[in-house]
Amino acid sequence: MFAYIIRRLVYGIVTLFALSLVVFVLIQFSGGSPLDRLRLNPRMQPVIAQLTEQWGLDRPWYEQYFVWLKNFITPIDVAPQEGLTIVMFGKLGIWSWVAVAAFLGAAAYTVGAFFATAKANWWRTFRAFSIIGVWVAAFWIIKSRIVFALNWGTSFRGDGPVWDNIFGAAGNTFRLGLTALAIALIIGIPLGIYQAIRQYSFFDQMGTMLSFITFSTPIFIIGVMLQLILAFYLERWTGVKIFYVVGMTGSGYEELGRGLFGLPSLAQLGDVIQHLTLPALSIAAISMAGYSRFQRASMLEVMHSDYLRTAKAKGLPRRSIIVKHALRNALIPIVTLVSLDIAFMIGGAIITESIFGWPGVGRLYIGAISAIDYPTIMAVVMAIGAGVVLMNIIADILYGVLDPRVRYD
Amino acid sequence: MADPLLNVEDLRTYFSTEEGVVKAVDGVSFQVQAGERRGVVGESGCGKSVTAMSIMRLIEPPAGEIVTGKIEFDGRDLLQLPESEMQDVRGGEIAMIFQDPMTALNPVYTIGDQLMETILLHQDVSKSQAREIAINTLSDVQIPKAANVMEDYPHQFSGGMRQRVMIAMGLSCDPKLLIADEPTTALDVTTQAQIMNLMLELAEQRNTAVLLITHDLGVVAGFCDNIQVMYAGSIVERGTGDEIFHNPQHPYTWGLLGSMTRLDESQQERLNSVRGAPPSLINPPKGCRFGPRCDFATDICREALPILHQSQEGQKVACHRSDELDLKAMTVGVG
Repeated sequence: MFAYIIRRLVYGIVTLFALSLVVFVLIQFSGGSPLDRLRLNPRMQPVIAQLTEQWGLDRPWYEQYFVWLKNFITPIDVAPQEGLTIVMFGKLGIWSWVAVAAFLGAAAYTVGAFFATAKANWWRTFRAFSIIGVWVAAFWIIKSRIVFALNWGTSFRGDGPVWDNIFGAAGNTFRLGLTALAIALIIGIPLGIYQAIRQYSFFDQMGTMLSFITFSTPIFIIGVMLQLILAFYLERWTGVKIFYVVGMTGSGYEELGRGLFGLPSLAQLGDVIQHLTLPALSIAAISMAGYSRFQRASMLEVMHSDYLRTAKAKGLPRRSIIVKHALRNALIPIVTLVSLDIAFMIGGAIITESIFGWPGVGRLYIGAISAIDYPTIMAVVMAIGAGVVLMNIIADILYGVLDPRVRYD
Repeated sequence: MADPLLNVEDLRTYFSTEEGVVKAVDGVSFQVQAGERRGVVGESGCGKSVTAMSIMRLIEPPAGEIVTGKIEFDGRDLLQLPESEMQDVRGGEIAMIFQDPMTALNPVYTIGDQLMETILLHQDVSKSQAREIAINTLSDVQIPKAANVMEDYPHQFSGGMRQRVMIAMGLSCDPKLLIADEPTTALDVTTQAQIMNLMLELAEQRNTAVLLITHDLGVVAGFCDNIQVMYAGSIVERGTGDEIFHNPQHPYTWGLLGSMTRLDESQQERLNSVRGAPPSLINPPKGCRFGPRCDFATDICREALPILHQSQEGQKVACHRSDELDLKAMTVGVG
C-alpha cells in the first residue's frame, strides 16, 4: 500500500512536469505580450524596457521556462513578523494550530491504518472518515498560509505575490465549492437512491425530468434565475433582504463583532450564509442533478444483482437489504465522480464566481488569462493538476476501503 | 400419507412485458413431503426457476405477479402471509441456493458477516454463539480451517468453495425445505459431483426436504426420489426416478433422455436433440404446448390441452397419446 502510494505520487510528479511544459509553451506561442497594454502609452517606454529585463521576457522561451520552474519549486521565507505567539493566538487564531495538530495526527493515523489488519466495521468507517479529516485539516492549513511559501513570482498585473493571491483565493473557492459539494451530495445521493428503489414511480419520473432540465441548463442561466427569484423578487414580496447577490460578506462585516477564539460570531455567520447560499446553490444544482442520475443508475444495477436476491432469500427486511447490502456497493462508482469534482473545484467556478462577484480562483484565473499574466496562469494550472493527481490517488484508496476486491499490495 | 410439507396448487405466475403477458408458470401443482428429494427438470425458460421464486415470494411486482394459486407450507398458505412473517420463512424455514455462486455473495462483506447475518436473523442467539454456529456449518460443508475463512471475502474463494458457503448459509438455520436452483450449473464437472454429494449428505443428516431445479438430467438421476419434468410453464410428467428414466411416457421426456450422454450405452453415434424451440409463453400454441415439436402429434394434440393424469405405467403424464405410444421401444430420432 505504502509503495503503491509512493509510486502513484512519482507518476503524479512526472505528469505535473509534463503539464507545466505544455501549458508554458502554449502561453508563449499564443501571441501577445503581458506588456501590450503598456505599449499604448508612449510615456511607458522606459518602464517596458525595465519590465522586459526584470521578467526575462527578452530571453528564449526555454530559458524562461527553466527560470520559472526553478523558482516554482524554491521555498521562500515566510516571515511571521509579529512572532510565534501572536501568530498562534492572535492573527491566525488558535484553530489553525489545532488544525495542524489534527492534520499531522490524521495523516499519520491514515497511513498506519492501512497497514493494520483489523477488519471490524467501525474501524473501516473510522478510517474512511480519517481521510475526510485530513482534507478538512489541509483546508485550514491552506487557509491560514502558515506552513511555508514557494517563489511563485509576482503577478504581472501588479497584484503582488502569486502564492498569496492563489491561496487567498483558494480559501474563498473552497468555501463556495465545499458548500456546493455538500449540498449536492446531501440531496443528490439520497435522491438517486430513492428514485432507484421506487423505479418508474411518479417521484422517479419527476426526479428524472427535473434532473435532465437542471443538468442541461447553463450555469449562467441558473445563477441569474436564482438571483432574480430568490434575491430580487423575494425581497420585493417580503420586504426583507434575505439573500445577497454579490460578494462574500457584507460591507459592515467586521462591525458585526467577533465570537470566541476569533471565530466568526453568529451575526457574522448569518451574513456569510446570506452571501453564500445563492452561488453555492447554482453550482450544487448541476452537480446534484448529475449525482442523482449516477446514483440512480448504479443503485439500479445493484438492485438487480444476484447478491441482493440472496439477501432477500435470507429473509432480511427490505430496509437492511437496501441500507446494508445495496448502498455500499452502489456508492463505489460515485467515488470517482465526486473525487474528480473536488479536483476541479480547486480551479474555481469561473462563471459562477463572475456572476456573483466571488473573489475565488476562477476569477483570478480568468483575469490572469486576459492579461497574459503567466506566473498566475501557471500557478492555477499547476494547482488544478496537483488536485487531479491527488484526488485520483485518494479515490483509488477509497475504492480499497469500500471494495475489498480492490486492495493494493 | 401425512400432510405434505409443501403443497403447491394451480400456481400461475405471469410477467407483464411490452409484448404481452408472459405466462411463465401456468397452472403448476405438486407436493413435497418432509425429507423428500424432488427434482424439477426442464430446458431454459420452462418456468422452473420462476416456480421456485414464487414459493419464496421473490417475484417482484409490478413486473411479475402470482396471479392465482395456493402455496401451502407446513400448514400455512404462504401467499396469504404478511411480508413480515414471510421474512421469517425465507432463510429460516425455506432456504434457497442460487445458480451462480460467483455473484450470489455480496462482494463487500466477509463470509462470516454474511453467514452470521442469517443466523442472527432467524435464531435467538448471541453474536458469539452465531459465530460458533457459522464456523460449525462451514466445517459441515467441508471448508478447511473454517474459523480462519470467516474473515475472508467472497473473491478470495473459488466457485466451488463459494457454493459451499451458499449451502452453509442455506443450512445454517436448519430449514425444512431447501430449494436449490441449478446449484451446480456454473461449476466444473468434478466440483459438481462434490457439491451434489455434499448437499445430499447434509440434507439427509438434517432431514431437510430438497427441491432441486436443474436442466441436467444426470444431476437429478443420482440425487432425487421423485422427478417432475416441466415444459412451457407446466408439468408434463411426474414420477419416481426409475419411472422417468426407464419408462418415459411423455415424448418430451423421452426426447430429453435421448439427448443425454450415457456411459452404459454405446450404440448411438451422435446425440439427438429435441427439434424446434420452446413456444412463446405469450401466445402459446393451441392444444398441447409440445405439439409443434412432437413427432407423434395428431389432430387431438393440436386441439386440446392435455392435462396431467395417471398413466398405465404409474407415473403422471400430460399427453393425449401416452397410453398408445410405446416410447420405450423406440429409438429417439426415428419418428
